[in-house]
Amino acid sequence: MLTVISAGSVYLVNKAREDSKWVIHTIEVENQVNALLLEVRRAESALRGYLLTLGPEFQTDYEKAVAAIVPALDRVRRLSGDNAAQRESTEKLSAAIETRLGQFARELDAIKQGQPDMAMALARQAAAEGTTTTIGNVAVAMIGEEERLLRLRTANADRSQTLAASMTGIGSGLVVLLALISIWLVRRSALARDEAENRLREAYANLESVVSERTADLREANDEIQRFAYIVSHDLRSPLVNIMGFTSELDELGNDIFRRIGSLAQVPADGPTLAPAGPGEIALEGADKQLSEDFSEALGFIKSSIAKMDRLISAILNLTREGRREFQPVKIATSELIEAIVSTLAHQTAEAQAEIHLEPLPNVVSDRLALEQIFSNLIDNAIKYLKPGVPGEIRIRGRTKLGYAIFEISDNGRGIDARDHQRIFELFRRAGTQDKPGQGIGLAHVRALVRRLGGTMSVSSELNAGSTFTITLPIAWNVSNRNADR
Amino acid sequence: MTQPVTIIMIEDDEGHARLIERNIRRSGVNNEIVSFKNGTDAMQHLFGADGSGLVQKGNALLILLDLNLPDMTGIDILRQIKENKYLKASPVVVLTTTDDSQEIKRCYELGCNVYITKPVNYENFANAIRQLGLFFSVIQVPPAAP
Repeated sequence: MLTVISAGSVYLVNKAREDSKWVIHTIEVENQVNALLLEVRRAESALRGYLLTLGPEFQTDYEKAVAAIVPALDRVRRLSGDNAAQRESTEKLSAAIETRLGQFARELDAIKQGQPDMAMALARQAAAEGTTTTIGNVAVAMIGEEERLLRLRTANADRSQTLAASMTGIGSGLVVLLALISIWLVRRSALARDEAENRLREAYANLESVVSERTADLREANDEIQRFAYIVSHDLRSPLVNIMGFTSELDELGNDIFRRIGSLAQVPADGPTLAPAGPGEIALEGADKQLSEDFSEALGFIKSSIAKMDRLISAILNLTREGRREFQPVKIATSELIEAIVSTLAHQTAEAQAEIHLEPLPNVVSDRLALEQIFSNLIDNAIKYLKPGVPGEIRIRGRTKLGYAIFEISDNGRGIDARDHQRIFELFRRAGTQDKPGQGIGLAHVRALVRRLGGTMSVSSELNAGSTFTITLPIAWNVSNRNADR
Repeated sequence: MTQPVTIIMIEDDEGHARLIERNIRRSGVNNEIVSFKNGTDAMQHLFGADGSGLVQKGNALLILLDLNLPDMTGIDILRQIKENKYLKASPVVVLTTTDDSQEIKRCYELGCNVYITKPVNYENFANAIRQLGLFFSVIQVPPAAP
C-alpha cells in the first residue's frame, strides 16, 4: 500500500518536474525566437544605417548581428526539434532568414561597390518581396504556438503538481490511519493478553483451591472411615455382651434343667425317700444324655463364635486407635530398640530353636512405639512361621539410601506363595497352613504404621524358601510429613 | 445412723441392665436398684426438677453409669454429678464397653470411683459385678454434705 503510494508520488513528482522542464523549454524557445527576430531586425537596421551613412560602425554592427543570427537560428532549430509543427515553421523561418541574409549580402556588396542606388533599389525590392514580413509572421506564429504550448504545459505541470500534492496528502493520511490502526491492534492484543493472563492466574488459583478442597475431602473421608470403624466396632460390642451374657445364663439354666431332669428320672427307681444327689453328680442316661450333649455343643459353638467375633472387633478397635494416635518423632537408636524386642521374644525364640542375627542398623528419627510395633510384629511372625523341624535363622539388616533407611528382616521359614504376597497385608487375611493362632491383623497393622511414618514395605518370598520383609522409612521423619499424609 | 444405699443404674441396653442386676443379686446385694434407660430421665431423678440436686440431699446413692447413652454421653453426667455438692460424695461406677485408655483416664480424672469394662468374657464380667456387690455391701456411703 505504502509502496504503491510512494511509487505514485515519485512518479507524479517526476512528471511534474518533466512538465516544468517542458514549460521552461517552451519559454526558452520563445526567447530564442524573439532573440533571433531581434538579431534580424538589428541586422536590417544596421544595414540601413550603413546604407544611409556609410559609417563603418554600422557595418561592424551589421556583421556582428549577422554573425549572431546563424547560431541563434541553430539554437531555435535545435530547441524546436521536438515539435513537428514548430520544426516546419523553423524551416520556413530559416529559409526566409537565409533569403533575407542573401538580400542583405547583396545590398552590402552593392554598397561596398559604391552603388548606393542599386543597394537602395535592392532594399526596396526586398521590402516589396515582404521577406521581413514573412520572417515576422513566421516568428509571431512560432511564438503563438509556443505560448499555446506554454499554456498547455503550465496547465499540465499544475495538474501534475496538484496530483502529486494530493497523492502525498492521501499517503500521509493513510500512514496516519495505518499508525492508528496498528496502535489500536497493539492495544487490543495487549488487552487480550492481560485478560488471558488474568484467566490463567484465576485458573491457577482455582486449581490450588480445588486441590486443597480434594485433600480436605480425602482427609475428611479418612477421618469418617476411622470414626465409622470405631463406632461400628464399639456398637457391635454392646449386643455381643448381651449375647455372651445370656448364652452363659442359658448355659447355667441348661445345667439346672438337665440336673432336674436327671433327678426326676432317678426318682422312680430310687424311691421318693432318697435325698437328691449333689449337683453334677447325676448321670443322665440315653436320650437325655444325648440332649444334654447337643445342648452343650450348640452353646459351645455360640460361645467360641462370640469369642472370635470379639477378637475381630477388638482388632478393628485397636487399628482405629492406632490410626488416631498422635505420633511423636524422636531420635531412635534402632539397634538398641530391636535388641530390646529380641530379648522380650527370647522365650519364643528358644522354643522354636531359632537364632536371631542382628547386623548394624542405621538410626532414624521416627515414632518409637510405632517402630516397636512394626519390628516386634515382623520378628514375631518370623519366629512363628518357621519351617517345622528346621532350626530357624532370622537376620535383620539395615542400610541407608537417599535419605531413607532400609531394613530387611529375613528368615529361612516356610515362605509365602507369590499369589499371597498382596493378601497377607489385608486385614483378617492369612496365608499358608493355618496351624498358628492369629487374626490376620499383624501385617495389615504394620503396613498402616509404615505408611503413616512416610515409608513403604514389601515382601519377597517363595514357598518353602524363607521370606524377606523390606521396610523403607525416612531417616528424618517429622510431624509435617504426617500432617501431609493425613 | 446408716441408711440403705440405693443403686441408681443408668444403662440404655436392657440386656446389660438385666445381666448387671442379676449378678448383683447373685452376690447377695438386695439394695433397691433404680434403672434409667436414658440420660435425661436419670438427670431428672438425680438433680430434681430444678436441677440443683437438692432432692437427693441426705440420700445414700451408688451410681452405675454407662458411657454410651442415646441422648447424652455418660461423661457429661459424671462431670455434673461430681460438680454437684449434694451428689459428689456418691460413688460412681462406670460400666461400659469402651476399654480405651484415654477414656478410662478421663473418667478417673472426672472423679469416677471404679471403671469396669464390659467384657464379652462373661465369667470375668460376672465376677467383677459380684465383687462390686461385695464392695457395695461393706461400704458406708458417707452422709451427703449438709
